[in-house]
Amino acid sequence: MLAAAHGFAEFFGYYNVILLLEATGVTVALTVGGCGSGYLIGFGIALLRVKRLLNFSPVRWAAIAVVEFLRRIPFLVLLFLVLFGFQASGITLPSVWIAGTAIALRTAVISSESIRAGIESVHQNQWDAALTMNIPRLSILRQVVLPQASRVFIGPSFVQFIQLLKSTSLASQLGVIELTYAAKILNRRGFSAVLCYGFVLIVYYLLCLSVERISRRLEARYAVSRDQRT
Amino acid sequence: MSYSIHFGQIVPFIPYLFGGAWITILLAACAFVGGTSLGLLLALGLSYGPRQVRAGVSWYVSFFTNTPQLVVILLIFFGLGEIRYFISPFWAAAVGLMVAEAAYLAQIFSTGFASVRRTELDAAVTLGVPHRQIIRHVMLPHLMKVLFPPLANQFILSTLYTSVGSIVGVEELTGRALNVESQTFRSLEVFIIVAAIYFALTVIATILLYYVGRWLFRIEAKVF
Repeated sequence: MLAAAHGFAEFFGYYNVILLLEATGVTVALTVGGCGSGYLIGFGIALLRVKRLLNFSPVRWAAIAVVEFLRRIPFLVLLFLVLFGFQASGITLPSVWIAGTAIALRTAVISSESIRAGIESVHQNQWDAALTMNIPRLSILRQVVLPQASRVFIGPSFVQFIQLLKSTSLASQLGVIELTYAAKILNRRGFSAVLCYGFVLIVYYLLCLSVERISRRLEARYAVSRDQRT
Repeated sequence: MSYSIHFGQIVPFIPYLFGGAWITILLAACAFVGGTSLGLLLALGLSYGPRQVRAGVSWYVSFFTNTPQLVVILLIFFGLGEIRYFISPFWAAAVGLMVAEAAYLAQIFSTGFASVRRTELDAAVTLGVPHRQIIRHVMLPHLMKVLFPPLANQFILSTLYTSVGSIVGVEELTGRALNVESQTFRSLEVFIIVAAIYFALTVIATILLYYVGRWLFRIEAKVF
């Protein structure tokens, strides 16, 4: 432990701080980019699965099969599958993009469940009333169903965002220079492991905590209350 | 560059992979049992403890639900190695997962404790039921029914989280997949098989837990 105290001053040297800042930037960019695009894809998958929107069974069953399979495998295995899938198909991408694709896939699959729950929570009467008023179906989705559905899926969505932020630490296995890999680099340079990994742990904690605070404020204003006493 | 998929080279390694699935189950069981014990203590402190204990436990829960398990495991493995206390990768992964699981389980348990109905407790006290029997006959059946589905779900999630152990060298399913991949270079095939094994594990575990819930606690929960 004394080694940790000894290397503390050198740990925050100029180049180390730049490395850590860039690594934090990569982590945040991976999460935001991956979750953002994954959310859009998940939204598409959820639309495919809602029975009243698209009543074409084979597409629905294919969507269900894909979602149920990709939900039940660990994220590390999914990451490697995406990596080797890209290698096998001959597409060359930087590791960051491969990790981003895996995160987008994961987010798409998980968020499609919560978005589907949100869309199905809107009562059928809303649809029928809007249809009788001759509102186009896309507009019904956008202006009638989604605002009500978003109150249901906004809470789980932020929880999933935080989970994906933590899962980006696994992208270090692909060689992406994000926070965990930066900790490994600094550990190899000779700094104490407790210092490196402890500091990175604190950075992850601060990142996730700020997202949690934002989500709590948004949920208090918009979301359906999950408190059973109210 | 074209890559043709050949499963034939992987087939001799399938028993090896099933051995890894067994280590995965062991690791998940260790993490879950340890996490349940620690999480139960934390939840008791969170629900019924004094103010300082509650603040400490909620900080612990907040810390370990907002940090990645991988970094916790790396901290334990390399940090303990620094002070010359060498533990095996399996136990580093088990302790790391245990400590992280305890945070989630403490949340689940404290939600369960909060769901005990006050009126039932008051009625039992009015009837003069002794304290220990109140816990056994009034609180526990209700708690088991409320807590079983989230606990079962958390167990299945913890079997999926064990794949993180492969990064410190635990020879569980993902670790063995990486070994086979480095021997045969059939990367896509191995990981497709490993994904299928994980999927089968979770499906079997879900069905088994459904029947346990149905027979032991009479919980009629939907599986899929």
